[in-house]
Amino acid sequence: MNEIIGLILATIICWLNFVIVDTYFGLPEQPGVKGARIIGESVKKRKGDIAGGFFQGNILCSPDASAGTLMASIGYLVLGIPGGIIAAFLVFIGNRLCADPGYAGTTGSLTATLLIFIFSFIGLTPKMFIVGMVIAILTIQGIDQVRASIILGKIAEKFNRHAKE
Amino acid sequence: MFDLVHLAVNSLAIANVYGLANITIGYFDMVLAYLVAIIVSIIVALILRVPLMPADRYSFDVSAIYPTPIIAIGILSLFLVLNYTFAFNGLLLAVIIGICSGLFVKYLFNYVFPSPAEGEDIDE
Repeated sequence: MNEIIGLILATIICWLNFVIVDTYFGLPEQPGVKGARIIGESVKKRKGDIAGGFFQGNILCSPDASAGTLMASIGYLVLGIPGGIIAAFLVFIGNRLCADPGYAGTTGSLTATLLIFIFSFIGLTPKMFIVGMVIAILTIQGIDQVRASIILGKIAEKFNRHAKE
Repeated sequence: MFDLVHLAVNSLAIANVYGLANITIGYFDMVLAYLVAIIVSIIVALILRVPLMPADRYSFDVSAIYPTPIIAIGILSLFLVLNYTFAFNGLLLAVIIGICSGLFVKYLFNYVFPSPAEGEDIDE
C-alpha cells in the first residue's frame, strides 16, 4: 500500500482505538492523580472542557491506551503478535507503578495488537501504526489543547463518561 | 573413535525426547497455549478464592478476569519468542505459567504492586 495513504489510515485507526478505549474506561470522569487534576483545571481556565482536560492529564500522567497502542505497535514490529502481548504486560506494570489500575492501558494494547493483525492483511505495516500513533497523540496534546479538550468532552458525553463536577 | 559431533547430536536428541530442547511451534499450537494459559490462570485464581470480576472501573483489587490472564499470557509470550517451549508443544509450559500467575496474584501481588490508597500523592 502507498505509504502516505497507509499512514493516514493508521492514524485514524489509532486515534479511534485509544480515544474509544480510554473514554470507555472513564479517563474523562475523574483525575487519577494530582497532576491530571492540575492539567484539567488549567485547560478549563483557558475555556476548555474539564472532562477533556482530565482525559489529557490522565494520558499524560500514566500509560493508558495511548501508550498502550504505541507500545503494542513497537512490540508487533519487533516480535510479532507475542510482542504486542508482552507490551500489554509491560504497560500493566507501568500502570501499577503510576498509581493507576491499568484497565485502559492493557485493554488498549491488546485491541491495538488485534487491529494491527487484522489490518496487516490489507497492507498496513506496524511502522505505519507507530508513526500514526505519534500523530494521533500530537492531535490530542500538541496542536490545540483547548479545542481538542472540547472534542474529547463531546465524545465523553456520548459515552456517558463526562466529569461529574 | 570418540565422535564429538555425534555425541552432541545424540545427546540433543535424547534431551528432545524429554521435551527440553528449543522447538519452534506452529501458530495453532501457540494459540492453543495462549488459551490454555488464560483458562488455567482464571481457574487457579477462582480456586484460590480471588473474586471473578473487579468491583468497578477504578478498583485496585485483583480479580480473576483482570490481571491474572494478562500476567499469564505476557510471561508465556516471553517464553514463546525465545522459542523455549517445554513438552507437549508448549501446553505444559502454559499450564505451569497459569498456575504460577494464579498463585502470584493471590499471594504476592499486593506485596509487589502495593495499592496507592495509603499514599498521600493520590488525589481521589
